[in-house]
Amino acid sequence: MLEVYRHRASSAVTHPVTLALGAAFGLGGIIIAVTGGNPFAAFSDMLLGAFTGSGLRNTLGRSIPIVAMALAVSLAFRAGILNLGGEGQMLMGALTGTMIAITVPGPGYVVVPLALIGGALVGAAWALLSALGQTRVGVPLLITSLLLNYVARSITSYLVRFPFGEPGAAFATTSPVPPTARIPKMELLGMGRMSISLVFVLALVILLAVAYRRTVVGYESEMIGLSGPFSRYGGVNVERHTVAIMAAAGAIGGLVGTHLVTGETYRYIDADMIAQTGFAWTGLMVALLAFNRPLPILAAGILFAGLQIGGFAMERSSGVSWQLAQVIQALVIVALVSRFVVTWKRTGSDGDAPSEANTDPAHVGSV
Amino acid sequence: MTVELELRGITKRFPGVLACDRIDLTVRAGEIHCIVGENGAGKTTLMSVLYGLIQPDEGEIVVRGERTRIGSPLEAISLGLGMVHQAFKLFPTLTVTENVVFRQEPARLGIIDRKAAVGRVHHLAQAYGLSVDPRATVESLPVGVLQRVEIIKALYREASVLILDEPTAVLTPQERDRLFEVMRRLRDAGRTILFITHKLGEVMAVADRITVLRQGRAVAELDPGATTPAEISRHMTGRDVAPVRRGADEPVGDPVLSIRDLEVEGAHGLATVRGVSLDVRASEIVGIAAVAGNGQSELIEAIVGLRSVRAGHINLGDVDVTHAAVAMRRRAGLSYIPEDRHRVGTAAAATVAQNLLMGYQRSAELGGGRWLLPAVVDRHARDLCDRFSIRAPDTGAAAGTLSGGNLQRLVVAREMSHDSRLLIAEQPTRGVDIGAIAFIHNQILEAKRRGRAVLLVSAELTEIQALSSRILVMFEGRIVADLDPDAVDEAEIGLHMTGGASVGA
Repeated sequence: MLEVYRHRASSAVTHPVTLALGAAFGLGGIIIAVTGGNPFAAFSDMLLGAFTGSGLRNTLGRSIPIVAMALAVSLAFRAGILNLGGEGQMLMGALTGTMIAITVPGPGYVVVPLALIGGALVGAAWALLSALGQTRVGVPLLITSLLLNYVARSITSYLVRFPFGEPGAAFATTSPVPPTARIPKMELLGMGRMSISLVFVLALVILLAVAYRRTVVGYESEMIGLSGPFSRYGGVNVERHTVAIMAAAGAIGGLVGTHLVTGETYRYIDADMIAQTGFAWTGLMVALLAFNRPLPILAAGILFAGLQIGGFAMERSSGVSWQLAQVIQALVIVALVSRFVVTWKRTGSDGDAPSEANTDPAHVGSV
Repeated sequence: MTVELELRGITKRFPGVLACDRIDLTVRAGEIHCIVGENGAGKTTLMSVLYGLIQPDEGEIVVRGERTRIGSPLEAISLGLGMVHQAFKLFPTLTVTENVVFRQEPARLGIIDRKAAVGRVHHLAQAYGLSVDPRATVESLPVGVLQRVEIIKALYREASVLILDEPTAVLTPQERDRLFEVMRRLRDAGRTILFITHKLGEVMAVADRITVLRQGRAVAELDPGATTPAEISRHMTGRDVAPVRRGADEPVGDPVLSIRDLEVEGAHGLATVRGVSLDVRASEIVGIAAVAGNGQSELIEAIVGLRSVRAGHINLGDVDVTHAAVAMRRRAGLSYIPEDRHRVGTAAAATVAQNLLMGYQRSAELGGGRWLLPAVVDRHARDLCDRFSIRAPDTGAAAGTLSGGNLQRLVVAREMSHDSRLLIAEQPTRGVDIGAIAFIHNQILEAKRRGRAVLLVSAELTEIQALSSRILVMFEGRIVADLDPDAVDEAEIGLHMTGGASVGA
C-alpha cells in the first residue's frame, strides 16, 4: 500500500511527506506558543543548533545509527517482513562486539573488525530466531521479533551486571574498551573528529540503492512485499528471502550496537544502552517517512538526527524542552499515517466494485 | 402490460470512468428482462443503483408509476425489489429456514414460531418448484441449491421484482436449465425478473425483452423473437466477432506432462485429488471440465508447485517435478495462467514492467541471474505490450490501473512469450470482454500449433468444447470421463460433471 504512492505524481507541495512535515512543525509551533514560548525563535534555535558549527558534526554523528537502523528496517519492510526486533538485535550485537573488543588482544586492525563481525553475527543470529520461527513453525515474526526485545534486554542486563561487569563499579557496566580496539575517528572538513562508521553507512546507502533497483534479489524481495501469492507463483522462494533478509537486518543492528560502544561511548553501560535502543525506533520512523528508499532514508535520517540535536540547542537557548523534538518526530509519522488512512478509505469506498471479484469461486465456496 | 419499473437517464461517474451514461430502462410487469453487456459495460453499476447500493449522479427511478429515491437496500426491499447476488450472503451454519426468515421471523408472543417458519419456506419452495429441504444446514448444500435459497429469501420478503446477477456462472447445465424453469414459473405467477448475463445462449433461451449495454449506454432494446445472437453480440461489442474455430488437429507428439496416481490434500486434510492420472502431449489441448470445487484447482496447484503432493508422480518431459520448487518447474518448461489474476497472476501495486518480468527475472535473456537493468526490463515490457496489445499508459504504471481485459492480456503475454513446453491455462477468459476472449483463444490455439502442450481448465463448456482436443471431466477429485469434443454435446458433459446419470442436479 505504501508503495502505491511512488507511482502517483504529486507536486512537491502536495506530496504527503511535505504535508506531514508541515503539519508536524505547525502543531509543534502551536504547542510552544500555547506554553508561552516563541515558536519562531525556538525553531530557529533548533535549526542553528542542528546544522551549524559543532551541531552539524553532532547531527551527522547521531545520524549514523539512525540511518543504519532505518536501512535495516527498510530491508525487511520492503519485503513485507515486519521486523520490530531492531532493539534486541542491537543489544545482543553490542554486548558481543564490546566483549570481543575488551578481551581479544592484538592490534586494532584485527580487533576492531573482529568485534564488528562478532556483533553482526550475534545480531543476525538473534534475528534468525524470529525468521525461523515464522518460516518453520509459523509463529508470526511481528510478535516474536517484538517480544525478543525484552528477552534481549534481560539477558544483556544480567550479563553486564554479573559475568561481564566491571568489578567494583557503582553501576552496571563493562570495563572500558582499550584505545587500540576502538573504531577510529577521522577529521571531517574542519568540523572536528567523526567516526569512520559514517563512511560505511554512506556505502550501505549506495549498496542498497543499487541492490533494490538493479538486482534480481532486490526485485524479488520487493515483489514479496507487494504480493506474497504473486511471488510464490513466479517461483520466488519466500522463505529463503525471509531468512536472508532477517539475517542481514539483524547483522546491521549488531553492527550499529557495536559502533555505539566501540566507536562512541567505549563502555557498555546497561542503562545507557537501553536508552540508545531508541535509535531502532527512530530508524523505523525514518524508514516509514522515506518509503523504504535508501537515498530518502539518508535525508530523513539526517533530518531526524538534526531534530534531536537541535532540540537540545533549543532547550539551552529558548528554554523549550528538548522533548518537543520528539513530539515533532512523532507528529510527522502520525500525520503521514493518517494521510494514508484517509486515502485508503476514499479509494476503498467509491469506485465500481469490480464484478470479477464476485465471480471468484472462493466467495461462493465459502458459503 | 403495465410498467413495473422505469429508470430514466441514470448517470453515474466514477473517477475517470463514466459507468452509466444516461441509461433509460423500462421493465414491464411479469416479464423476464435480460440485461446483457460485456464486463465494464455498466450492468453491475446499474443494478447497484436500482438496489440502493449506489446513488446515481443524475436520473430518476420510477417504481409502479411513483418516482422514488432508493437510498439503501432496505428501501429497495420495502419497494418489492429482491436481489440475488453472485456471491451468496448466507450463514453457513444455520438452516435454510433460519436463513430465509432472518430478521422477519414469524413470532408468537415474541418467540420465534419455528413450525410456521418451516411451513412458509416449504410452501414458497413448492409453489415455484424450488426444491429445497427447509431444515437442511446451508453449508451442507451444493451451490445450485444455495441459489434457490437466495431466491426463496427474496420471495419471502415479497419481492415482486427479482434481480439475478449472473446467476448461471456457478451452475452446471442441468442446474441452469432448472433455474430457467423456476424463472418462467415466477414470471407466469406475475413476478418480474431482471436477468443479468453476458451469455448469449441464455439470453435467447429465457428472455422476453433484451436491453444491451455498451460502455455505460443502453444501445439497444431487442425482442428475442426478432433478433439473433450475432446481432446481440454486434450491439455488445460494436463490431462483428467471429467465433474461434479449433480447426484440424495436428498429429500429437510425446507426452510433455505425465501425471500418475496423484493424490493431493485439500483444506481440511481431506483428499481433494484422488488418484488422478493423465497425459498432455505436445500439440494437444486437454480440457478439464468440472463444477467448481471438484478438485480441479488443487490438481493445478499441485502441478505448478503451489500445493504439496501426498502421493503419486508429476513428470514434466523426463524430469520428475513431483516435489520440485516453482522456479525449478518454470525452468523445466512450465508456464501458467492462473485462475485468480488479481491475487496470484499480478501484483496490483507493482508496475506493468515488474509484472511482466515475474517468473523470468533470472532468465538469460533478461540479464542472466543476478543483475537486472531497468532499461532491459522496460524494453522487454514495451515489446510485450506491443505484441499483445496491452493498453497501459506506460510500463511504469501500476498494474492495478489496468482494466480486467488488459490485465489478463498482461498475464497471457508474460506466460506465452517464453519458450515453454507446457502451458496451463486456468479460466483464461473469465470476466474479460468478447474481444479479449477471441484474442486469448487464438493465442492458446497458436501455442498448440507451435507444438506446445496445453492443459485448459474452464467453467465455460463452450470454451472447453471450442478449444480442446480431448475433454477430461473431473468429479469429486477423480477423472470420470475422457471425451471427444466432436462427439459429445453440452448435456452429456454436464451429466458427467455431476457424477453421471445417477444424480440429477
